[in-house]
Amino acid sequence: MSGELFESACMDLVTVNGLSKRYGGIVALSEATFSARAGEVHALLGENGAGKSTFIQILSGAVRHDGGSILVDGQDYRPANPDAAQARGIAAVFQELSLIPDLSVEQNIWFRHEPRTWLGTVNRTEMRRKTLALLEKYSFPALRPDQELRRLTLAERQIVEIAKGLAKDPRILILDEATSALPAREAEWLLKLTRQLASEGRLVIFISHRMAEVRAIADRLTIFRNGSTVAAHEANAVSDNEIVTQMIGRHLDRLYPERVSTATDRIALGVKGFSSGSRLSGVDFALREGEVLGVGGLQGHGQRELFQALFGATRASGSIELWGKPVSIGNPRQALTGKDGIALVPEDRRGQGLLLTKSVRENLTLSVIKRFTENGLLSRQKEAALVKEMVDFLRIKAGTPEQLAGTLSGGNQQKVIFGKMLLTQARVLLLYDPTRGVDVGTKGEIFQLMRDLAARGYAILFHSSDMPELVHVADRVLVVRNGRIAATLEGDHISEEEILRAAMLETRAA
Amino acid sequence: MSAFLARNRLIVLAYAGMVLLLLVTALFSPGFLSVSNMRSTVVLAAFVGIVALGQTFVIIGGGIDLSVPWVLNSAAIIMALLCGGQDLPLVWVMPLLLAGGAFIGLINGIGVAQFGVPPIIMTLATNVILQGLILVLTGGSPTPSAPALIQFLSVGRLGGFPVIALIWLALTLVATLLLSKAAFGRHLYALGTSATVAEFSGVPTARTTILTYVISGLTAAFAGMLLTGYSGQAYLGMGDAYLFTSIAAVAIGGASILGGSGHYLGTVAGAMVLTILTGLLPALNLSSGALLIVYGAVILLTVSIGSETFAGLGGRLRGKEG
Repeated sequence: MSGELFESACMDLVTVNGLSKRYGGIVALSEATFSARAGEVHALLGENGAGKSTFIQILSGAVRHDGGSILVDGQDYRPANPDAAQARGIAAVFQELSLIPDLSVEQNIWFRHEPRTWLGTVNRTEMRRKTLALLEKYSFPALRPDQELRRLTLAERQIVEIAKGLAKDPRILILDEATSALPAREAEWLLKLTRQLASEGRLVIFISHRMAEVRAIADRLTIFRNGSTVAAHEANAVSDNEIVTQMIGRHLDRLYPERVSTATDRIALGVKGFSSGSRLSGVDFALREGEVLGVGGLQGHGQRELFQALFGATRASGSIELWGKPVSIGNPRQALTGKDGIALVPEDRRGQGLLLTKSVRENLTLSVIKRFTENGLLSRQKEAALVKEMVDFLRIKAGTPEQLAGTLSGGNQQKVIFGKMLLTQARVLLLYDPTRGVDVGTKGEIFQLMRDLAARGYAILFHSSDMPELVHVADRVLVVRNGRIAATLEGDHISEEEILRAAMLETRAA
Repeated sequence: MSAFLARNRLIVLAYAGMVLLLLVTALFSPGFLSVSNMRSTVVLAAFVGIVALGQTFVIIGGGIDLSVPWVLNSAAIIMALLCGGQDLPLVWVMPLLLAGGAFIGLINGIGVAQFGVPPIIMTLATNVILQGLILVLTGGSPTPSAPALIQFLSVGRLGGFPVIALIWLALTLVATLLLSKAAFGRHLYALGTSATVAEFSGVPTARTTILTYVISGLTAAFAGMLLTGYSGQAYLGMGDAYLFTSIAAVAIGGASILGGSGHYLGTVAGAMVLTILTGLLPALNLSSGALLIVYGAVILLTVSIGSETFAGLGGRLRGKEG
């Protein structure tokens, strides 16, 4: 007995050797290795498509591996499904949420694991008690257990997903980009929570594209590239530069392109007294030709409503002028139509942006399919030519244009959405958090693309949940607070401190 | 073409199933493969196929049309009444009734697309209302016999081919062009795959939805008139069988009942499979009750094969990012 105890204290909690997985002809993982101890926060780094997601899907029982071995507690581990993984103490919080909109917060948290009465019915009192205990133990941000999930924002849903993972009291918790949907304050809470979990002796496997977060909490890190493990480090023994170089396999000079303002005096999008629902009340601003105009502020202060309403996806009042002409935009179709259109890269890539079960080609040309018709019949040659052009231009990594969009990596999916937008003739672009869940290499490409487009006369409205992006990419930044523009920052005044100050000033005063 | 086959494995399967079923049937009933029998099988399949044409569009778009039985039946009965056995009135009666079918589809489509009524409720309601209207109109009394011209369209021959088979062929061509070669088809598949993504991509989602129901109204009304020619007269309840068979043909043809996939070429095979089954079962000395049971079983089987494929695909989608 004591021998076993001694062993398990020293041994790695998880040891992975030679792990391989293919999907048809695509190798997702080849000979990956990994080891992590109980009581540590272990960061998993790599570009999209490097194999991180496949790896954690195997660990969490969603996918079975083809080759190699996984040892958990020194015993062979090959879960048939997520339940089997949970039985061994492994739970995962994925980017794609698994919650049911019609159920309440607590029903979601305990879904399929509800406390029972002796009759076998759900013990609601016990469920409420356990929920409150869980939320309190880990100081969750305000969540009402009985609130219906569909009423929650994306960030709040992400928090419920985390609670759901913790409800299983796992020894190993996998967090897949859990912070990417969270506003700054909640992201900070999650980082603290992660440390707390490690100090309880749990292993947290943490995936994030934000280097600062990894720096703040990781004890060790493992870097994946092209389906294999490139390196594993003690976190304090390696520099950011070394990590990035190992992730992308080459030296990345800089993430952000040089900011050369190409803004002209011509106003591309003039917005006055723009209101929508209860979240957006009377916004005025002007976006100029050649400009990248940032939109910042605390989450939930009207940024989402602004973007959706400008695109015609939600009702709004107020006046919009496009290139000097007053327009009224009742739906996305009107927004996208014609030379003076408005295009959107939406917040929810998979739910709003892409037909996952359709090909890259069909996705790219969906908004402009009419353009390829002659006498009402589609010309596949014309379509294929333009698709090829766009795939090459954006360097979309797909086997063929017929590959299903859902099988691409996150970064490449986002590129398809950009391509779809660029094929329309719209020259006012609304980019809502375009780099969310996108790997660092593709992020750099997206920023460069934004600057290039601006230089070609496009006008870009740009929201990011990652504040440094606004600071480094935007020419000006509008700070939104309580559905109004609280400040417009320019030049040297654009900094994280200034954005936060403008975003929070009133909140403090109140 | 090979790309088409690769992406439409289920359609290929439907045709394979059709051929297999033909051979099995021929085994039990040696005369089955005779020219005259094949001819009558195709004629019967054509009625299913024409009703299922509209149903295919509706289902690909993510909806379902339960109003086909009484759109079909209404067209049949009103045509018989208005023509009184004469050919000449067909000149205005046929266009009028096609327009009527399209109008019912328009109401279905507007209810679904503009007022957000669930397709099942919306089309079920129009079906019942039409049934009521026809009962009021006829008082249950029998109608005059079908005009000769309509009988020619449904049972006549042209150069040895049944006229209705030629009509079916032409409609298949039109449907294929709409689905594969028109912007409308692309919009339709997008709509059925994700209405939100389609809306965000500038697809005219409301117009596309409405159009599918209009097409379904048109084909149901058209089939009703042809069917009157086949049976020699119109009678109450003649459309009832076509609710199930039209949906079944689409499902057997490889379309996902959830929308976003499938093709009319698959539905054609589906209509054939269902009709051959009705030929096989009597040969096996099965009763019409047994026929219904086998019908139901076939649907269950094909839909579950389809959903397995769907689940497999879902697994592949989840497995890719990394």
